[in-house]
Amino acid sequence: MKAKKSIAASLALGLAAVAAPAQTQLFSDLVGPGSVGSVKAGGALQVPFIIWGGDMATFYANGGLKTKSGTIFQKQGLNLNLTPGDDFIQQVRDYRAGKSPFLRGTFRMMGQASEVIGSDPRTKGVVILQMTWSAGDHMIAREGIKRVTDLKGKTVAVQQGGPHIGMLDDVLKAAQLGWDDITVKFFDALTGSGSPVEAFRNDSSISACFAVTPDMFGLCTDLNSVGTGAEGTVKGAHVLVSTAELSRSIADVYVCRKDFYDANRQLVRKFVAGYLKASEELVDKRAAHDAGTRDQSYINLLNQTVQIYTEEVIPNADEAHGLLLDCTFAGYPGNVSFFEKQGNLHGFEAFQKASLELATSRGYAKQKMGLFASGLNYKSDEFLKYLNKTEMVRGERFRAEAVLSEIEELSSGGLLDDRTILSFTINFEPNQTEFSAVQYAAEFIRVIEMADKFGNAVVAIRGHADPTKTLIDLIKAGNAKGTMKRSGTRGNYRYSLNGRALDLNDTSRLVDAIEAGDFDGVEDYNPRRTMQAALNLSRKRAEAVKKSVVDYAKGEGLGLDLSQMQPQGVGIAEPFIAKPSSVAEAGQNMRVEFRLIRVSAEVTQESDFDF
Amino acid sequence: MKQNFNRLSAWLGAVLAATWAMPFGQAQVQVTDNVVVVVDASGSMGARMGGSTRMSVAKDALKQVLEQIPDTTHVGILVFPRGNWVYPLGPRKESMLAGAIDSIQSGGATPLGDYMKRGADALLKARRKQFGYGTYRLLVVTDGEANDREKVEAFTPDIISRGITIDCIGVEMASRHTLATKVHSYRNANDPESLRQAISEVFAEVASGDAGPGGENAFELIADLPEATASAMLKSLSTSGNQPIGEAPVMRSVESPLPQPTPSQPGGPTSAPPDGGVFETVLGMLCMALCVLGVPGLVIYAIVKRSKK
Repeated sequence: MKAKKSIAASLALGLAAVAAPAQTQLFSDLVGPGSVGSVKAGGALQVPFIIWGGDMATFYANGGLKTKSGTIFQKQGLNLNLTPGDDFIQQVRDYRAGKSPFLRGTFRMMGQASEVIGSDPRTKGVVILQMTWSAGDHMIAREGIKRVTDLKGKTVAVQQGGPHIGMLDDVLKAAQLGWDDITVKFFDALTGSGSPVEAFRNDSSISACFAVTPDMFGLCTDLNSVGTGAEGTVKGAHVLVSTAELSRSIADVYVCRKDFYDANRQLVRKFVAGYLKASEELVDKRAAHDAGTRDQSYINLLNQTVQIYTEEVIPNADEAHGLLLDCTFAGYPGNVSFFEKQGNLHGFEAFQKASLELATSRGYAKQKMGLFASGLNYKSDEFLKYLNKTEMVRGERFRAEAVLSEIEELSSGGLLDDRTILSFTINFEPNQTEFSAVQYAAEFIRVIEMADKFGNAVVAIRGHADPTKTLIDLIKAGNAKGTMKRSGTRGNYRYSLNGRALDLNDTSRLVDAIEAGDFDGVEDYNPRRTMQAALNLSRKRAEAVKKSVVDYAKGEGLGLDLSQMQPQGVGIAEPFIAKPSSVAEAGQNMRVEFRLIRVSAEVTQESDFDF
Repeated sequence: MKQNFNRLSAWLGAVLAATWAMPFGQAQVQVTDNVVVVVDASGSMGARMGGSTRMSVAKDALKQVLEQIPDTTHVGILVFPRGNWVYPLGPRKESMLAGAIDSIQSGGATPLGDYMKRGADALLKARRKQFGYGTYRLLVVTDGEANDREKVEAFTPDIISRGITIDCIGVEMASRHTLATKVHSYRNANDPESLRQAISEVFAEVASGDAGPGGENAFELIADLPEATASAMLKSLSTSGNQPIGEAPVMRSVESPLPQPTPSQPGGPTSAPPDGGVFETVLGMLCMALCVLGVPGLVIYAIVKRSKK
């Protein structure tokens, strides 16, 4: 993607959005007083859109801002007038007044508005559609901030009322921090002037900020790079958390007024089905475009997007394509899973709970007034006979071997800790693969929940074994063969190797002797066999822990993606203490480390939808 | 969803992933213990021994030893100079196993070294398939009278250095023979007591501090070892590749060009399967080069293995 920075600067104009105060206040105060009006009958129905790739599917289905002949929506019998809705507060006013029956935002933004819209039975919100998951929102931190926990006591900049409030909430929860552990500075704009990004550039007291992809490119170069200070980047700035891996944090949705929904269920179903139709066509066209195929209808959409958002916001078709790449469509399977799947940790119920909790705890609402799920019949012909991509089963989301090799690369490059989102360790007795699962129930729940939120991170379950016995067998094998000898008394031993005095610091001589087979061929002491046994033991430990977590999730009725969990035996390669001097020290090496790790997008299997 | 960032590094990542995949990937792989038996059925094995022949004594000894090996162990029987794989390395089927042993006929030359290599290579191939996990033993049944003595001398330490345990059942074998002195265990086919000696379980870790000779604390035995030395020794032990016996590991030098992704795979090549034709491709060779087994994390194998002294 080229010319990323231009979009960053210009998005500010388009998103002069929420006129947010410096501090959180009741959402009802932000919206102000106003009476509830009914939705006008007849004419084109007003539907808000915002600047997001998911809304490009709406344009595609509608053929532009007004429904065009031959488009998906027109064929569905709809007549829509799409209107800009980046000012969410104005959207809520229009929704209350009856100008539009729809609200367009992230689920957590709906949570902020929940009390305002929920206080009248006519305007109560029905969530009718999950459009996308975001993969294009990022938390950027300054040099020295390696983990979210490093932000304790530090200042974080975020746009008030926007999509990043919910993301910040998720990030803090993952790190087991509360909002009180950090100082939050609120800004009115999402990007550009008056935004957290601008503040991050100018105010070194701000340790982290939230940014959309173009700004992220501007600050850090890319997802896995650190800003150098050159070309407008900020020295040391890097992505601390991204929705690229925190992939179930920002759900973009449409909400419909309860009175309108009850009276126009058929229309709403047509709208939802039409949107899903558009998204399943778009994922194919987007992939084809990435593969170099030129499809005029897709090019038209990109150009139309530039036109709708204006060149100041989306300068060209490439940028429009980039906007679309930042979102992961939910599609039909995603919506069925979101609204209907039991135990779905990223489904409607889970989002509702978290959103209302956030709205009340952060002072947007005084009381929790719930949203409704649409209750659409997804098994009806209007979906199943109309759509093509309705398969609910999907293959493994991760390529196991690629995941494990990336972990190895990170490990050998010393980057594993930097990429670890959360971790904990389970200890074992010598030569044992059993452990007390009950003792780790709290950690298991946390891992299951976080693995779900961080849908594109992997859970590495890395088994380790202690190297002491291998070392001892090596020494004993040398003794038994007579190649390596020890004389003298305790505390004052002298060593010899093949008849010559040996300085134990003479690493290369010892390594040469090992390679020459001077420690081989002793039945009772075979360090190579011991090492192999350690490798096998470490793998069994990892497998045992994985099985335990899987069983736990099953027992609790929680969804768990098995392909996301990668058990691996590391053997004695990464001891906690390289040369233990006591049983206790050796015991620290006998462990399984659980790590939720940010990995590159390349290790995931391409799929149409995430659900 | 695929991020729209640096495609080149993404592709390089994919290539690296593919080349590194072998030792670490373990998706759905069955991990087993493995024993390959190399049986000498050369002319000298037809020699009379007591009221029988060496061959016949060897077969009885072999059956007895195999009885002590757990049912889950994969077994292979390789016979030379005739017969070849009378039982290819795989799961045990008792009826077929006994028949395979009974079918062995003696006669011909004694390419012992060559067949030890073939047996060990089969184990290394299995180890590659199992991503390094499992156990690997070579059991040699012979009278030791080889035509290729120099190969036996050369291959034996190489096989051992790969982490394969060599056990030998000697049939009237000279006591100073390489296979009697340099391998991990030696059993005399004519000594029922030694044949019954069970293969003991190998423990990976010290269970307590008193494992040393004469009650010495186990940790004291290594107390004088500087940490750096200990790490280097362990690393040296672990750098044993899966390349065929007698061949030096293939290194990927900094200069060697990386394979280009094919246009049909914009995301880079996917991992080569662990065996079969694809593995023999250029990418496969790179995989092999990096497939240094033993302890995965230690296998950054940038230095050429030193020549043995």
